[in-house]
Amino acid sequence: MGSTDEPGSSMHGVTGREQSYAFSVDGSEPTNTKKKYNLPVDAEDKATVFKLFSFAKPHMRTFHLSWISFSTCFVSTFAAAPLIPIIRENLNLTKHDIGNAGVASVSGSIFSRLVMGAVCDLLGPRYGCAFLVMLSAPTVFSMSFVSDAAGFITVRFMIGFCLATFVSCQYWMSTMFNSQIIGLVNGTAAGWGNMGGGITQLLMPIVYEIIRRCGSTAFTAWRIAFFVPGWLHIIMGILVLTLGQDLPGGNRAAMEKAGEVAKDKFGKILWYAVTNYRTWIFVLLYGYSMGVELSTDNVIAEYFFDRFHLKLHTAGIIAACFGMANFFARPAGGWASDIAAKRFGMRGRLWTLWIIQTSGGLFCVWLGRANTLVTAVVSMVLFSLGAQAACGATFAIVPFVSRRALGIISGLTGAGGNFGSGLTQLVFFSTSRFTTEEGLTWMGVMIVACTLPVTLIHFPQWGSMFFPPSNDSVDATEHYYVGEYSKEEQQIGMHLKSKLFADGAKTEGGSSVHKGNATNNA
Amino acid sequence: MAIQKILFASLLICSLIQSIHGAEKVRLFKELDKGALDVTTKPSREGPGVVLDAGKDTLNITWTLSSIGSKREAEFKIIKVKLCYAPPSQVDRPWRKTHDELFKDKTCPHKIIAKPYDKTLQSTTWTLERDIPTGTYFVRAYAVDAIGHEVAYGQSTDDAKKTNLFSVQAISGRHASLDIASICFSVFSVVALVVFFVNEKRKAKIEQSK
Repeated sequence: MGSTDEPGSSMHGVTGREQSYAFSVDGSEPTNTKKKYNLPVDAEDKATVFKLFSFAKPHMRTFHLSWISFSTCFVSTFAAAPLIPIIRENLNLTKHDIGNAGVASVSGSIFSRLVMGAVCDLLGPRYGCAFLVMLSAPTVFSMSFVSDAAGFITVRFMIGFCLATFVSCQYWMSTMFNSQIIGLVNGTAAGWGNMGGGITQLLMPIVYEIIRRCGSTAFTAWRIAFFVPGWLHIIMGILVLTLGQDLPGGNRAAMEKAGEVAKDKFGKILWYAVTNYRTWIFVLLYGYSMGVELSTDNVIAEYFFDRFHLKLHTAGIIAACFGMANFFARPAGGWASDIAAKRFGMRGRLWTLWIIQTSGGLFCVWLGRANTLVTAVVSMVLFSLGAQAACGATFAIVPFVSRRALGIISGLTGAGGNFGSGLTQLVFFSTSRFTTEEGLTWMGVMIVACTLPVTLIHFPQWGSMFFPPSNDSVDATEHYYVGEYSKEEQQIGMHLKSKLFADGAKTEGGSSVHKGNATNNA
Repeated sequence: MAIQKILFASLLICSLIQSIHGAEKVRLFKELDKGALDVTTKPSREGPGVVLDAGKDTLNITWTLSSIGSKREAEFKIIKVKLCYAPPSQVDRPWRKTHDELFKDKTCPHKIIAKPYDKTLQSTTWTLERDIPTGTYFVRAYAVDAIGHEVAYGQSTDDAKKTNLFSVQAISGRHASLDIASICFSVFSVVALVVFFVNEKRKAKIEQSK
């Protein structure tokens, strides 16, 4: 696992839920006990243990560089949101303009995430990350030039491109960590990266206040405040370049691998991704878990400022609680999915996802209808837990949809999140037709409605939420995954990795399988 | 379970506090004595199509008890003069909406001056501050009683808020020094990246040729 030459392999390890969450690998894989590394590693020099509070090179250092760069990009993409009450007066923005800018901020990365995979394949994740972070620093600094709505929308669109660091982050993790723990590593990295959307709601108003107290006028202070995310970009870019390395052994190995022919055809993988109906259900679902999280990051500070007459930094603190819940909510969602899978298998995972995401939707409706500050804050926190845990629970199931096209499906799902966010902001938060509280209520209703399709997801070998498996023969799991390869492809052995995956995935059958056949799963 | 009970109890207490706090009588704009004060505004630059510059131009504002007067004149303690948005500046901007509930009303967010009530003609010359946004405005003076509640008002425009409005152009907030700093840091970022990249590629080539 972890070859860097297959198309879509740049997304390998994005989900990596081949095994359930584990902090360390069981001893069945040969471990390399060379004294060279601070952590135990496997045959490919990938760490087999996840030590959170270490900065040892190369593995944990990579983890921290990676999630902090990703978080920095979230900080700059949503940096405008808590300052909207000031910016809208400076640039004479209307509600339409503000809404369009919000849509623009999440749209750019739909495409940049897809391109980033190829960039990582070509340049490696270290340069992919550094290039994106340092080349998007000018876009952040260009906020000082903005003088009207068009400029504002354009700059927010350009800054949004840097959210593609999600891809470099996950790719980099998969080169450094063994696939048995990559689920926890990537879930933590993704969750902590998303936290940047909350940190920025706290950071920007405080920076703005400090600059104002130093004597600057309001309409200049917010422009100066944008220098802070810009400097963070430059600092993280330099740190990644100087302290990071592509692979555990160093940087040169990547050059040696160049020139290998792609083992699988991109067209085929795309076909399997696109014709699998489950892919599209997850695209829709993620649009209403990650998508609503991004939309809320954009509107919530302004909402609290206007509706409850709060000061800018108070609104920022409350808005920050929304994004910061990612610290534990996203990993918790994946963990809940794992626990459900132990007893009820894939059916448990599907029910967990439906329950968590629907609850999030109901809390969102409550938030829209809350008339007092206390109920608004409580409902917002519960809504954030629901939406973010649903993100974690989604990527706990996605790896089982297909093994051959995992990379593309993960990429499409991720893009679906951004697309859902753009659409929601366009329909509910850009026009005067809905007040923001009405928009939040309707967004909650949409979440509940668009989570219903999870009932349609049916795996022949494991069943669905309401129906039992349609194929309960012993080799049903293998049949599902190996069936993605034609007879000719199976003859040349292209399907072997999928077969290995299928063997490990049998535990998704639930507790009956666990009891009967204790395989190497935590 | 104990923790859950404590959380639920504190939630209940918080909501009770909220509802008690909000149990005061709602004060409405239409209950105020209309036209109790005569308010006039004279911008420093006048004429058709003139737009005042925030931070530079001034307004000469006068106010006094009008001929209509007010039944509650005895309660007037302080006169609060405010800058208010005219309807054209409220379009598609719900954060400037006019509400009848005084607490929710966002028409007049900019404070100009507050002076104790005096029967004689009062005036002030006020420089448009640098955080006034671009828009169309009028001036309103609220007569406030001893506990801080509005009792009556007068404004420089008519009831429909159509006459005697003036336009303001905000400062841009941009500065040449900011622009230059921004360009410098951007160039530094790109150049640093290119230098690192070229340097490492060169080092790798040297090592490979060894």
